[in-house]
Amino acid sequence: MSSDEHYKEIIRREMAKLKTPVKLKVFTSQRIEADGSKIRACMDCSQFMTLLRIYEENSNGMLTIEEMSIDDNPEFVKQYDISRVPTILFIDNNGREVIRYLAAPQGAEIQPFIQSIFTFAGAPNYYEATIKQNLNRIEPSTIKIMMTETCPYCPQVITIANMFALASEGKIRTVIIDINHNQDIGQYYDAAGVPYTIINDQKTITGMVGPNEILRSLIGGNIRVSY
Amino acid sequence: MFPTDSLGFDPEKIYDIIVLGGGPTAIGCAIYAARFAMDVLIVGKTFGGLIATTHIIENYPGITSVSGPGFMEMFREHMQSLNISYISDEIGSIEQKEDYFVLQSFFQQFKARTICIATGSERRKLGIPGEEEFTGRGVSYCATCDGPFFKDKVVCVIGGSDSATKEALFLTQNAKKVYIIYRGEEIRAEPINKKRVYDNEKIEIIYKTNITGIKGDNSVRAVIFDNGKEFEVDGVFIEIGSNPNSDLAKRIGVNTNEKGEIIINRKSETNIPGIFAAGDVADAPFKQAITGVAEGVIAAYSAFDYLKEMEIEY
Ligand SMILES: Cc1cc2nc3c(=O)[nH]c(=O)nc-3n(C[C@H](O)[C@H](O)[C@H](O)COP(=O)(O)OP(=O)(O)OC[C@H]3O[C@@H](n4cnc5c(N)ncnc54)[C@H](O)[C@@H]3O)c2cc1C
Repeated sequence: MSSDEHYKEIIRREMAKLKTPVKLKVFTSQRIEADGSKIRACMDCSQFMTLLRIYEENSNGMLTIEEMSIDDNPEFVKQYDISRVPTILFIDNNGREVIRYLAAPQGAEIQPFIQSIFTFAGAPNYYEATIKQNLNRIEPSTIKIMMTETCPYCPQVITIANMFALASEGKIRTVIIDINHNQDIGQYYDAAGVPYTIINDQKTITGMVGPNEILRSLIGGNIRVSY
Repeated sequence: MFPTDSLGFDPEKIYDIIVLGGGPTAIGCAIYAARFAMDVLIVGKTFGGLIATTHIIENYPGITSVSGPGFMEMFREHMQSLNISYISDEIGSIEQKEDYFVLQSFFQQFKARTICIATGSERRKLGIPGEEEFTGRGVSYCATCDGPFFKDKVVCVIGGSDSATKEALFLTQNAKKVYIIYRGEEIRAEPINKKRVYDNEKIEIIYKTNITGIKGDNSVRAVIFDNGKEFEVDGVFIEIGSNPNSDLAKRIGVNTNEKGEIIINRKSETNIPGIFAAGDVADAPFKQAITGVAEGVIAAYSAFDYLKEMEIEY
């Protein structure tokens, strides 16, 4: 089996286990031609959507991928703060953005993506109790994670950050950025290593970072726990 | 892990064995423990461990060649086939109760009758000026992670081990020149990798040299040799071995040797009954994935034996 087929097989197997409906928004640029046909104008968009449809088609109707074209609807750019396409957004029931992907969930990145979908759909979240206990000490925060497809530790850091965001009742937001496809962002933040985690555009952490360190950075002090 | 697997975790349960670590040793131990029908949980800080950072593994019997991340994927699949739960967390303390142990992290408390410590080792740092300042801005401890940032650049690898040569070989895929800077007189790589290094025109070895500092502006510009000379490079990959992650074990009274490695016997037992250790954190003279897996597997068997004996007693 090619590695592509192998990953597709994992997506099929795992998505079939989704039992609760969940919706993701994907922003692409899709123009309507004179003859009425639609074409995707951004280079990565078609491949990206083909990939996301694999997730959708194997979820027994539980996952809906809502493609939203910024050409058809320029107001989306402002409404959802879309600065580039394709962008995936996890938006909670209160309309708050929780997770933003400027990266394709393929290769080893399918693991954090699937885990995020499941938790977004209500599956238990290992970090939830501690995040909730410390919630009043967490300022509204954005965690940006720069990744590449070949980076061995990126999927783990992304999983932890996304789980934090999903447990945070809207206080934490993550932005997952593939810096091979968004080189300008990598350069802007001087990233010369991955995973590269940026908390509130201030604190940066290069390399593998565990849940303790991320939480400590968010609250700027000791973590309170009670079991 | 995938959600359906990690959710198997039960905070109330006293596990037969909790394996600390996420590397090959921990996974080897957990696979055997699961097959011995033990209730097993892995709690690890980084899934895949150190080996995940290498670009190629060619010495694990049965696998001709695989990348570090590919090797991790194989572990993941194997664990999933046995429904082994993996928790991404770091254990901060272990406490001994009458007939079980309590393991504590910031996020959870775990209970287990036995423990296998497979916490591996932490990359050693040079401890020189500039090292910390430029980490992530030219100084790296992982060529697989950061090599692609050095396309057509000049980089150096500090160290002369087999791992260092492998890092250098990987870096040639992107960099235009790779220097291996080694304090010794002859690199200590496996002959097959040594030959690859000698045959590679992009690699040059600078022997009998230590570096005493790293300089730069926004990113690394040069390293300083112990003779005072400044040597221009864009990236510095440090591969000078590692120190065992044994503090946690030491705090509960597990014996270690002068290098801080946990002393184990041929059954992977430590001096504390019920606590086993294996892999890079333990005191074997030659440490590889296969040797760690073997020790981990023995730890699972010894824990199984220990539990059987406990049942007779209680
Ligand atoms: C560049 C490089 C190339 C290599 N190439 C090869 C090769 O080709 N073949 C080969 O066989 N070996 C190779 N090795 C050696 C191999 O990587 C190690 O021998 C092997 O990874 C040891 O496995 P381990 O599970 O014992 O430890 P590690 O792989 O170090 O894993 C230890 C795990 O424990 C976790 N941990 C630490 N503290 C805690 C805690 N308190 N709580 C929870 N988890 C914790 C760590 O995060 C990590 O996940 C290479 C090493 C390097 C650096």
